[in-house]
Amino acid sequence: MMKQKSGKQPLFALKYLAYDFIKVTAALPGLIWLRPRWIYAAPEAREYLRGGALVIANHVGFLDPVYLMYAIWYRRHRFVCGKEFFESKARWFFRAFRCIPIDRENFGLDSLRLIADELRAGSVVTMFPEGHISADGGEEIAAFKPGMVLMALQGRAPVVPVYFQPRKHWYSRLRVVIGQKLDIIETYGTHPTMSQIDEIVTLLRGRVEELKAIAEERES
Amino acid sequence: MKRTEIVEKLKDILLATDDRKRDAVAACTEASSLTYDLGFSSIGMLYMVIAIEEEFGIRFDGVGAADFRTLGDVVDYLEAKLP
Repeated sequence: MMKQKSGKQPLFALKYLAYDFIKVTAALPGLIWLRPRWIYAAPEAREYLRGGALVIANHVGFLDPVYLMYAIWYRRHRFVCGKEFFESKARWFFRAFRCIPIDRENFGLDSLRLIADELRAGSVVTMFPEGHISADGGEEIAAFKPGMVLMALQGRAPVVPVYFQPRKHWYSRLRVVIGQKLDIIETYGTHPTMSQIDEIVTLLRGRVEELKAIAEERES
Repeated sequence: MKRTEIVEKLKDILLATDDRKRDAVAACTEASSLTYDLGFSSIGMLYMVIAIEEEFGIRFDGVGAADFRTLGDVVDYLEAKLP
């Protein structure tokens, strides 16, 4: 089994002040507006996440991080986002929200170490492995980038796939499907080969596709 | 550590990292390009750097995988870094 810290975070911490303030004040209006429906792919997916975990999801719009906060509402998320957001006028927001900047064009060691350290410290790191917002409004899930596997390996954390159905109207109900976590190290060991890494990427994308099928089945 | 030893050890690491490149690694020299001759992607390079760090017990500071064009560049860096 993976060794990681419990991830038990204090109820209040100054560094999470902005995050917690937004979360608490927006929770009720968001619940009324989105009326989220949580669907679990398997009974094991209902288990509370403890310790470090890498949450991955499809990416259909700018509100996706908000949806993910509803999907796994009981943990604070450290969102991975492009470093260009930290160079924009809204950089104060991304800093306050404690997002982790990465260079999407040239994902390097520094970004990897930063994320791995967070995972090992027991944080929930959340990212969109497609690397960009879906151009077709979420009809197709694009290919996943393999960097997430290195993050999970170096952070010794399981990967939790999540799918949220694109909302057709502003008043549509939010459907979130949460999948069973995948312990990469338990299945492939600490040093999988590149061909195994490619296999894991395909597997994880397949898991998100399965969650999509569950959401569509429930809808119909 | 001698330069030839570093090269041999690097070849072992490359093979362990990506077993599909057995022929390319066997034929590679210090002048071989990591991207074109050995076919490493950016993530493959990053994974290789991690494997080197673990194997040699060093830390790549201030450099990225993109800074190494050929196998010789990696050997140069390791030669300077290793006692």
